[in-house]
Amino acid sequence: MRTAIPILLFLAPALIAQQPVAPTPEQVGPARGTNVDDYNITDSVELGYRFADVAGNRGVYRSDVNYGNGIRLLGSSFTMNSKDGHGRFFDEIVLNTIGLGNDPYESARLRVQKNRLYDYNMLWRLNDYYNPALNVAFGEHLMNTRRLLQDHDLVLLPQSKLQFHFGYANNNQNGPALTSIQTFDTRSGFFPLFANIRRSFNEYRLGADINLAGFKLTLMHRWEYFKDDTPLRLDGSITNPFDTTVLQSFTRAEPTHGRSPSWLGNLIANKKWWAVNARFVYTDGNLGFIQNDFSTGIDRIGNNINRQVLIQGEAHRPFSTGDLALSLFPGDRLTVVNNTSFYNQRIDGNSTFLQFDALTQTANVVDFQLLGVRTIANATDLHYKLSNWISVYAGYHYSDRRIQTIGGFAVPGSPADQTFAEITNHQNVGAFGFRLRPIKPLTINVDGEVGRMDVAYTPITDKDYHAITARAQYKVKKLLFSAGYREKYNNNSVTLTTFSSRSRDYMANAGWNPNDRFSLDASYSKIHLDTVGGINFFAAVPRVTLVSGLDSIYVSNVHAATLSARFAVSKRVDLFAGYSITKDTGDGRNSPLPLVTTDPIAQLLIPVQTFPLSFQSPMARISIKITPKVRWNAGWQFYNYHEDFGLFGTYQNYHANTGYTSVLWSF
Amino acid sequence: MAQQQSQPAAPAASAFVGSAVCKGCHPDVWLNFYKNPHYKSIASGTEPPERTGCEGCHGPGKQHVEARGGKTTIPHAFSLMDTKQTLDTCLNCHGKDFGKVNIRRSSHTMADVACTACHSIHKSTVPIHLLARKQSELCYTCHIDVRAQFSMPFKHRVNEGVIQCADCHNPHGSFAPTWRMGDRPHMVQQALGNEIPCVKCHTDKRGPWVFEHSPVRVEGCETCHQPHGSMNAKLLRRPVVFTLCLECHNDPAPPDRGSGVIAQSATHNMLDPRYRQCTACHVRIHGSNADQNFLR
Repeated sequence: MRTAIPILLFLAPALIAQQPVAPTPEQVGPARGTNVDDYNITDSVELGYRFADVAGNRGVYRSDVNYGNGIRLLGSSFTMNSKDGHGRFFDEIVLNTIGLGNDPYESARLRVQKNRLYDYNMLWRLNDYYNPALNVAFGEHLMNTRRLLQDHDLVLLPQSKLQFHFGYANNNQNGPALTSIQTFDTRSGFFPLFANIRRSFNEYRLGADINLAGFKLTLMHRWEYFKDDTPLRLDGSITNPFDTTVLQSFTRAEPTHGRSPSWLGNLIANKKWWAVNARFVYTDGNLGFIQNDFSTGIDRIGNNINRQVLIQGEAHRPFSTGDLALSLFPGDRLTVVNNTSFYNQRIDGNSTFLQFDALTQTANVVDFQLLGVRTIANATDLHYKLSNWISVYAGYHYSDRRIQTIGGFAVPGSPADQTFAEITNHQNVGAFGFRLRPIKPLTINVDGEVGRMDVAYTPITDKDYHAITARAQYKVKKLLFSAGYREKYNNNSVTLTTFSSRSRDYMANAGWNPNDRFSLDASYSKIHLDTVGGINFFAAVPRVTLVSGLDSIYVSNVHAATLSARFAVSKRVDLFAGYSITKDTGDGRNSPLPLVTTDPIAQLLIPVQTFPLSFQSPMARISIKITPKVRWNAGWQFYNYHEDFGLFGTYQNYHANTGYTSVLWSF
Repeated sequence: MAQQQSQPAAPAASAFVGSAVCKGCHPDVWLNFYKNPHYKSIASGTEPPERTGCEGCHGPGKQHVEARGGKTTIPHAFSLMDTKQTLDTCLNCHGKDFGKVNIRRSSHTMADVACTACHSIHKSTVPIHLLARKQSELCYTCHIDVRAQFSMPFKHRVNEGVIQCADCHNPHGSFAPTWRMGDRPHMVQQALGNEIPCVKCHTDKRGPWVFEHSPVRVEGCETCHQPHGSMNAKLLRRPVVFTLCLECHNDPAPPDRGSGVIAQSATHNMLDPRYRQCTACHVRIHGSNADQNFLR
């Protein structure tokens, strides 16, 4: 028996950003489904072939886009629903997949549930990750790894007053990578090493929800295990370009095993005039490690080195978190919420360092460190509806934080050397906003926030800041238009250093669907950021001295625009065309060093003040209905990445033609 | 097909008419309602009428039936309700969901964003969570600048579908962050109990380490990274790494974080290119077990 299910594909304007051209958004028409016994089944499978033709820097292409050639199950969707809610083994199955069969981004989401008995959810994901990392270590931290994530969650008796939760999550990262080491002494250069990344994380969850006397108590216990057995090695002699150090061989074994059992308790009640929620979480992080380095080579002054370094120890992080939120509703118009939170973590550990040079032990040092962070925060938020078309929001948030650090080392037989530091800082934040809805389709939101902190932890922390956000949206069934502005200014200038940042974002978008045969979507954002930070560093002018009183300036002006249109040319043919561009115009200069200067400090700092580049991607797609259940699709997407200045004299530009053709079968 | 479905539970109180009556005039809504999670209330047969089927959300239908329709005769007609009324109605059943315990103080609620702004109970095109549209499209509708960030060359793979906004954010409101000062960022989900959400996937950055790079723990990953998207590789805030480091490590005096963080070593001649790649030597920049300067 076939049932017509009226799904309007374009109920409202859809904003799709820069989606990959495939999988094809299902446009077969109304999903009909097939009835089998007491179940209704819908299914959709898109099988196709992707292609990619890349010219230029393939490494950055893989970092940004990474689609390759081959046959894929581009997307699929399957649902099975019991029509009376009394299926024998299940009442609902939902399965959605993307990219299975070798796309770099694959996922599968599954839900199976039977009313009142169980609810099972599974999420499986794969991410192929590649990054040449030119900007962090001359490309010597390249990564080519694959991360597999899965999460299983089972709730038993989901509609009863006593529910049981079981869960399992797994996260594996594997693959080759490069890393680097600076060795033999603190002034020698660094060497690339090969790393075979092998990391895994497993989490097991067990919990229960208990509904009693109007309260719901949630209890959850987690067992989390982390393991990193990544070996590092260098085969063959290598010199570095900076000095005469030679690394002839290097191996490192570094097994690291961690476990973090945690407990969560939460109590909630939700009544007509009030609501309360209390949460407590305790996580006991533990990590044990041993590191064994073996290296041979020649140091900067020509000595032959034959060295083994053994480091072992453990780290702990007990972490307590508590929250208490009390909500009051003294009328239909007013909501007042007060939330008090605290968190306290103490991270400590010890690390024993043993170094053997040609079998002579030269050091036996125990390093240890403690980082303790305790924060208490209280927030009061108030929302009041003045009338049907205007409401206001106000909030006051206060935080008190204490950070303690102890660092030190001990050489056996000598008194321990410790340094202790403590910082206490306070933050006061006031917020205010209003919402206007003069006519039903139009909403206007304006929010302001001002924050003041007495002592900022880092020079770039939000210290004295204000933020303003304004947004207007006009939305009717066939038209959406919205525009917004957001600014955030931060001034973190203290006695010795200065830092200020100013960000201003301007944005607008529009979607228009006059009928189900045509839709148009456009958006534009300008994201401006300029920062000035005082910096000091050592430089050889003419000998290595401290250079101070300089500014690190960074200016970014990102213009991002998208335009896309869909046409139903006929009952059988759909066309889609889109264009996306993201362009950082920087500070407007034409060359990295616009001024002719022989000052080496200026030559160092000026070229890194801005980094203009563009990333654009036009795309087109055609989808033709072959039969009521089958469509043929084809698409093309072009990517063009262009750096105006290059990084360290290297341009990583590329362009790529990608596309696909597929058959979509659905009912 | 409709005859094959179970009949809705009969109303127990006089003002309730039962979903079977609603079906008579609203067959389009009823047709697919068995696929709706709210159908569980009908299928169970044990829920009281005020928590069953159509009237579980819309209130008793007697007046509406007697008036032969009309929105104003529906006790809870969502298109006529304000944000708080909508929220109260939904929270009648969902108010004790752990994921929604902070909804009363969430930025969305304070900005008058009602449940129905994102969820479409009768016309959802996403089978799970009854979202009105695909999650990222839904969020982009208002968060236009975020939409632009995910169009940058280096970004988390939200548009590609492998990550969703709700992996890191809780649109229903979150607990106070356990990093920074407990105020900002808003609406960010805690992972693994009480930690920054980044470590849910990036488990190798979680530690604990003997030598923590303290801003990671104290201020969070955003100190150096832009999590949505960046024009710079590795989602960094700056195109080259040394400016990122030096903007904090700029104080030649001993550590006093009121005025900056201790400067780099005097052996680091910044005019020598090798010292501009800080992380080439300080490879364990997120934290190390073996070296307090993150060299190994």
